[in-house]
Amino acid sequence: METQQLTTLAGVIDKKMNRQLKQYIDICARCAICKDACHQYVGTGDFKYLPARRAELIRQIYKKYFDKAGRFVPALYEARDPDENLLEELYESTYACTACRRCMYFCPFSIDTAWILSVAKAMLIAAGMGNEMLSQLADAAIMKGDQPELFRDVLVSGFKDIEAEVREITGDPSAEIPVDKEGADILYVGLAGAHSIRPAAVIFHEAGASWTLSLFESANYGFFLGDAEKARKIADRYMDEALRLGVKEVVITECGHAYRVAKIFHEAWSGKKHPFRVRHILEVIDEYITDGRITVDPGSVKGAITYHDPCQIGRNGGLFEEPRRIVRALAADFRDLTPNREQQWCCGGGGGIVAMSEFDEDRIKSGAKKVEQIRATGATIIAAPCENCRLQLEQLRDHHELDLHITPIMDLVVEAMPLAGTKAAQA
Amino acid sequence: METYLQITSVWGTYLAIAVFVLGIAWRVYEWSTTPKSPVPLGLFPKPKTGAGRFGKMLKDTFLAPHSARIEPRMWLFAMMFHVAALAAFVGHLRIIQEYPLLPQWLGEDGMNTFAAWAGGIAGTLMMIAVLYWIGRRTFGPFKNLSVPEDFLLLALLLGVIIMGNHMRFFGHVHAETYREWFQSLLAFRPMLPDEIVHSNVGWSLGTHMLFVDLLLIYFPFSKLVHTIGSFSANLVRSE
Repeated sequence: METQQLTTLAGVIDKKMNRQLKQYIDICARCAICKDACHQYVGTGDFKYLPARRAELIRQIYKKYFDKAGRFVPALYEARDPDENLLEELYESTYACTACRRCMYFCPFSIDTAWILSVAKAMLIAAGMGNEMLSQLADAAIMKGDQPELFRDVLVSGFKDIEAEVREITGDPSAEIPVDKEGADILYVGLAGAHSIRPAAVIFHEAGASWTLSLFESANYGFFLGDAEKARKIADRYMDEALRLGVKEVVITECGHAYRVAKIFHEAWSGKKHPFRVRHILEVIDEYITDGRITVDPGSVKGAITYHDPCQIGRNGGLFEEPRRIVRALAADFRDLTPNREQQWCCGGGGGIVAMSEFDEDRIKSGAKKVEQIRATGATIIAAPCENCRLQLEQLRDHHELDLHITPIMDLVVEAMPLAGTKAAQA
Repeated sequence: METYLQITSVWGTYLAIAVFVLGIAWRVYEWSTTPKSPVPLGLFPKPKTGAGRFGKMLKDTFLAPHSARIEPRMWLFAMMFHVAALAAFVGHLRIIQEYPLLPQWLGEDGMNTFAAWAGGIAGTLMMIAVLYWIGRRTFGPFKNLSVPEDFLLLALLLGVIIMGNHMRFFGHVHAETYREWFQSLLAFRPMLPDEIVHSNVGWSLGTHMLFVDLLLIYFPFSKLVHTIGSFSANLVRSE
């Protein structure tokens, strides 16, 4: 690589610099306490997955270009250029990271490795090494936002099919899936696919909620890609829709990263306060059950059930008790994983890694701790309110031949509701 | 001997303190003038009040309870080092000003015996911790993580500690005499008491101070700034 290009790439660090990042780079003692926190390092033993090592690559570039001591004596810090060798390792350690931030939890200085890696992603994108799959998926989502009229009819007719199913399930021919309903209380943002819409529609209908369905899905590949501009545009699609319709709240479906994007990142990215609140569908369901707006059969779930905290909902999103209350309301035999809540192991499927086939082998290995945890409970059902978690758990189940049913919580709720319809909730 | 002490324990000390103070001020200035990220980076669950956040930050910084849970052995050695270093620092304050009360209760000899025990224990614990860290960096499965900076700092620390221990275990010079030297530095009328220069610990004070000087000079430019940066970084945790 030419000097000019190396300088430009290193310059990405300077452009993305902020106080937290500077401190994280300056204070890490390389004590490696994070080594036992990372499911990927524990599962594979591969040095490049050691959290401090992932951050160290960015530190080495920073020292070479921006740190006084590093420029004076580069050898002291093994300061390096962002050359091919470094970028190659950086690509693997960065895009493999699921951003579960379990290392941050255990770090004596609370260093957020994922935050350091957000700079790594920006640098990789600048070097033309951003993950292609994530980039294509992000661009497709942005295009859909730019030209919604191209997709609208297909989507709405799809929603009509789901609406028909909802009518059969609820036994109410007036049940509907409203779209573009101005003045609705709730804008519900699902995922691509009926599975995220049907159960929510049943629940909203039974609770008598005033809601409308977003034309856009909440999944955000721009976030996984590490391109804040694209990520904001993707989230803008439904945020603008919410503003236009004047809803009181945006409710995100059973997804991990989308909730964190909507709840925590979007305001910071856009620089504007939302005039509505943002909630996760599980917060809403928990409220409906507590307030008696929907009723559920407390013995509905047969067998031992456990709950997996998706990192972006739990440690990084703050929802620990809502999902547990719902599961306990449906099941007699609830067994929590150990450790749980803020110390929960990442399943290994986050950060968009399930969309990047080059990491398949390490991804399955990185689920070792999760499998161990599940086995220890003896549960045969696991509820996981994140699609990436469920994909990973399904592959772990197949790989380790576990006797395990993996389910979103919404489906369990719908199954537990006394409904007048003839059709079973599950297709 | 006198020249050596003049270099390391007088002029070197002035230089080191100046570089340390200015360096730390520069570091804090750099941090505080870099804009904060607009994205809150906290982990849940978070304390609800400002006081709660502050309390959690102090607890996380001084006790590192999470680190204790995941790697108790490392936590124990780190705790041992930092507590012993604090004790050693408190003990060293005697060379600025004798403590009130304690010497009156114990008497002059009693105080010196107490200091010998306390300082000896602190110095030994620090030495053990530093040796553990050197071993961990050299033989651990993640040894490739270490960079020369890590070993340089450990070497400087070991130098400081071993020389300090030498003065503590083999010297017969007490705080009162060191106070004369240090007070003279503070008054900018530096002198070296004959009692130190001509004792068996003259060269170990000189070498102790050589390592101290180097450590202080490098401190603001090294990862040792975690001593101040960990407070704000741990506060970000509950944002």
